[in-house]
Amino acid sequence: MERSQEGARGETARLEPYHGRPAAPDGAADADGPPPAVRVRGLWKRFGEQVAVAGIHLELPSGRFVGLVGPNGAGKTTTLSMITGLLRPDDGAVQIVGRDVWADPVAVKSRIGVLPEGLRLFERLTGRELLVYTGRLRGLPVAEVDRRTGQLLNVLDLSGSQHKLVVDYSTGMRKKIGLAAALLHNPEVLFLDEPFEGVDPVSAQVIRGVLERYTATGGTVVFSSHVMELVESLCDWVAVMAGGRIVAHGPLAEVRGAAPSLQDAFLSLVGADRRGGQDLDWLGGGPR
Amino acid sequence: MTAAGSLAPPESGTGRPPSVVAVFVRLKLAVLRNGLRQSRGRTIGWSLGVAMSLAYALAMGSGMVALRGNQYAPVAAVTVALVLGLGWAVMPLFFFGGDDTLDPTRLTMLPLRPRPLITALLTSSLIGVGPLFTVLVSTGAVVAVAHSASAVVVAAAAVALLLVTCVALSRAVAAANTRLLTSRRGRDLALLSGLVVAVGAQLLNLGANALSSDRGLHKLTSLTGVLRWIPPAPAIDAVRSASRGAYGLVGLQLVYGVVVLALVLLWWHRSLVRLMVAPDASTIQAAPAKSAAAERKASAQGRAGQTRGLTAVLPRRLVAGRTAPVMERQFRYLWRDPRSRATLATALAVGLLLPLVAVVQHGSIYQCLWAGGLLGVQMYNQFGMDSSAFWTVVATVATRQDAARELRGRALTLGVIAVPYTVVVTTGAALLLGRSAALPETLGLSLAFLGALIGTGAYASVRFPYAVPQDNPFANAAPGQGGLVALNVLGGTLSSAALSLPVLVLTIALHVTGHHALLWTVLPAGALYGLAVAALGLRWTAPRLLDRLPEILAVVART
Repeated sequence: MERSQEGARGETARLEPYHGRPAAPDGAADADGPPPAVRVRGLWKRFGEQVAVAGIHLELPSGRFVGLVGPNGAGKTTTLSMITGLLRPDDGAVQIVGRDVWADPVAVKSRIGVLPEGLRLFERLTGRELLVYTGRLRGLPVAEVDRRTGQLLNVLDLSGSQHKLVVDYSTGMRKKIGLAAALLHNPEVLFLDEPFEGVDPVSAQVIRGVLERYTATGGTVVFSSHVMELVESLCDWVAVMAGGRIVAHGPLAEVRGAAPSLQDAFLSLVGADRRGGQDLDWLGGGPR
Repeated sequence: MTAAGSLAPPESGTGRPPSVVAVFVRLKLAVLRNGLRQSRGRTIGWSLGVAMSLAYALAMGSGMVALRGNQYAPVAAVTVALVLGLGWAVMPLFFFGGDDTLDPTRLTMLPLRPRPLITALLTSSLIGVGPLFTVLVSTGAVVAVAHSASAVVVAAAAVALLLVTCVALSRAVAAANTRLLTSRRGRDLALLSGLVVAVGAQLLNLGANALSSDRGLHKLTSLTGVLRWIPPAPAIDAVRSASRGAYGLVGLQLVYGVVVLALVLLWWHRSLVRLMVAPDASTIQAAPAKSAAAERKASAQGRAGQTRGLTAVLPRRLVAGRTAPVMERQFRYLWRDPRSRATLATALAVGLLLPLVAVVQHGSIYQCLWAGGLLGVQMYNQFGMDSSAFWTVVATVATRQDAARELRGRALTLGVIAVPYTVVVTTGAALLLGRSAALPETLGLSLAFLGALIGTGAYASVRFPYAVPQDNPFANAAPGQGGLVALNVLGGTLSSAALSLPVLVLTIALHVTGHHALLWTVLPAGALYGLAVAALGLRWTAPRLLDRLPEILAVVART
């Protein structure tokens, strides 16, 4: 019932801008346990004629390493943007640790860390300046910002480049400095959009180490990727998106099911053909 | 074609591959066509630009033809050739980013040999508005000095030689500087070159004015002996030699022109070979020894940068919360971001220039309003300058107070520069004009106007943001947003002028009623009024900024 209503609302043209839902609809159910890290209800987003996110429902437990996987154009970035408050949904509700992102931004923005994909940083700052600036925007005391900045730069192997402008950083260094900026205020939930995209193996290992340490101490990581092997080795909880919908979500083993690997499970979930390229009979050995 | 052999062995596939020259010509046409297809506004803009430059070329060409028979025709023809050559030589340094086909590194992975590549690139470079412009102008130049049948024959050769030399020179300069021009520093330089172009255009204008008098041309004539031997002028001067019947000289000048062309092609060839076989070193990390030294230097700078500077001087309450870090970032950007720096430098320079013109021409002291006005306009589209980095603002602004402090940081950055600057420029102009009596009212009006611009600018930044393209140094708005820019600047100026009316009315009233002794009150009244309007504007805008954060991000990230 509730779902069909939301669906109907998502289909029709919006009359007034979306400002979230102050009252938690399932608030009573939270009484017997801690709220999930992320709860999404009937989330819709369309760009013109194209539906990017078609009314997804999602619940992600806290303290886990959650992978959001899906092919290009599945709506992963759009979903993460709406969950983190960077993009206004057409309809639906998003709660992070029990607070509505769009109705209660004060509570949410200080509890989440974000590393978006495809958005710049203030790149004319040096790595250290960027972290100090971000920390002070977050309202942290100056001395604490300096301390955390120094440690993060060390751990992420960026100390040698801390006085270089971020615009001159490599892709891996950018991801690392972005991760540092997202971690600086010690968020409860960390959202990372393609954190390993274009990152060399050494930097990837460093990022991995930091994230594993973060989840081990109770933090929740939600990251999107289309590298299945990586998701399989890192995550204990997976949500699979395709065509703007969640096609499966749950513990890794459950989503993988009987399939030999997550890659196989994923391909059959999104309905892709395992084989490919049969028509390219001229490719390979033989006449050039 | 000579090129075909090197492309691929002919026995493979379904026959001979197409010649490289034809492929490149088609590539060039496709790039032109696709560039136009992106948007209607772009097509119209491009067509207007082409029409204007061709009209200019026709005017210059026919101007040269009109000089025919004039004693100064030869020197004018030679000068035109030199200016064309110079223009072609410096063009790639400024417009490199605009033309992908100028970048030979894009072709390094293709199995092409330098010689056929040069032929193909040269041929495809002959297509376009620039070459057409060159042909029109240089035809005018040779017509002005061709007085015999043989001279006409030489003239045809001369125009062709001039054109090929110019195009080859341009390509050679681009190839030699590709590494610089594709690096970040090179692109930063290109952004700043907008200023150079603007200043250079003014200097050229002055030069042309000076030369257009008889005396100027006479002076230049004495230099002709030298000028006509500087490439690519000899080709054009050969036409004059032919008209005089000095065929030995014609031969010498043409051979000289061809030798110069050959040298240019050789230089180009060598740069191309180096580009295509040497790896790009731009992503290789610096040697450790060097970086250690750089590190020490940088850390010293870093410590210096950490002294909070200006924000420590301002009252603590004014720069509370995020205001101080925002201001520090804005100041760093004004210095380090070439676009911000160029915009600010232009505003400062023009804001100084217009009052100076007033001084020189004994004009009105009210020209000083430009100083504050041009700086105040910088408050418009604050977030467009952030581009998609604005997401950090979205992610960290949660309350109305955060939004107010973000806006205040940006307004204070501008005010800290604009207020002293306006005071100094206005005072200086008033003293130089000998109108120090009018100083208080002018300054009062200036400050009121500045305050109004900051207040309305903050609101327009939130309500009417537009994306600023990060790659094209000459566009100040992404395609299709030209209307928004006009709305911002015109609407902003008009509404700010309207908001300044009370101060203006006070000034006029004091003048009309003869209370000249009380005119000094305009200064404190204007200053307070400007401050109040700015503060009210920021206060009114802050909740709207909080409400519209994702919408602004969606607009400014569109680059």
